[in-house]
Amino acid sequence: MIAFISGGARSGKSAHAEALACRWQARRGGKRYYLATAQASDGEMQQRIARHRDDRGEGWTTLEAPIDLLAALTRAESGATLLLDCLTLWASQWLYAGPNSEQAGLDMIEGLLAEARRRDIALVIVSNDINEGMPPENDEVWRYLAFLQRIHRLVAREADTVIQVAAGLPQVWKGRP
Amino acid sequence: MQLFLGGACAGKRSIVRQRFASPRWHSAYAGCRLEAWPSVGVSPCCLVLEGWEHWLWAALTDEPDNERLRRRMIGELDALRDWELKHGGEVILILLEMGRGIVPLAPEARRLRDLNGWLAQDAAARCRRAWYVWNGLVKSLTH
Repeated sequence: MIAFISGGARSGKSAHAEALACRWQARRGGKRYYLATAQASDGEMQQRIARHRDDRGEGWTTLEAPIDLLAALTRAESGATLLLDCLTLWASQWLYAGPNSEQAGLDMIEGLLAEARRRDIALVIVSNDINEGMPPENDEVWRYLAFLQRIHRLVAREADTVIQVAAGLPQVWKGRP
Repeated sequence: MQLFLGGACAGKRSIVRQRFASPRWHSAYAGCRLEAWPSVGVSPCCLVLEGWEHWLWAALTDEPDNERLRRRMIGELDALRDWELKHGGEVILILLEMGRGIVPLAPEARRLRDLNGWLAQDAAARCRRAWYVWNGLVKSLTH
């Protein structure tokens, strides 16, 4: 089972994703993992991570994966439920942490989805919509936006459940919430 | 006439390609001027117009009055609808959603954002169907 949940900043998408992961785990059993893409690069980021951790509550095992999502997935056992939050941050780290190509990034995401299905890991993926404002003027920002959108389209196509969150309310595009 | 609205790289073009057979493209990204669309001819076909933000950007440098420019664009929409009725084709408008970010600092960018929003409203009011494209998926905005 794969779910993709996206929306604007502070739209409530993380809370929906966490609730969905909890429901899936309650139904399926197994452990519940939080796959964190964020790195505590400065004080504000540390606070942000701490707030997310407090909001999530008990019962989560955190795996950190700023770049290699597949390696992190292999640390979860078959039958587990895994929440990945979020793709926006991962995409920027993928592009700018080293000489990584867009195609290799798409291959990584495709591999992640395939591996989750093969090992029966329920995967809830969170991201941000950043493409509905003014088009970027900077080429590098365009490159990032185009890369993130290719990932979004891939994940939305492959996911069983796709939800857009606005003002805390879920809009279901695909499957059941 | 149908409208496909969505953010940058949302998958609008690919959805239109899937849904309409052999459309003729009149694209600002390929250097076409908006006013040149009648040159596509009169045979029944599906005519896609995309890159409206480029046409608006080019137009707003010559026209300082937003209302006049909005009316000019409405004139183009009406002409497209008339062409469709007269020739039995189908006009597809692809528009970029750009109104959901922060207010731009540059006055011209603010004008572009406003005009683009009005254009989307004016287009939707004249289209028999309007669609919202999001991350490669599509949803009807009209019922």
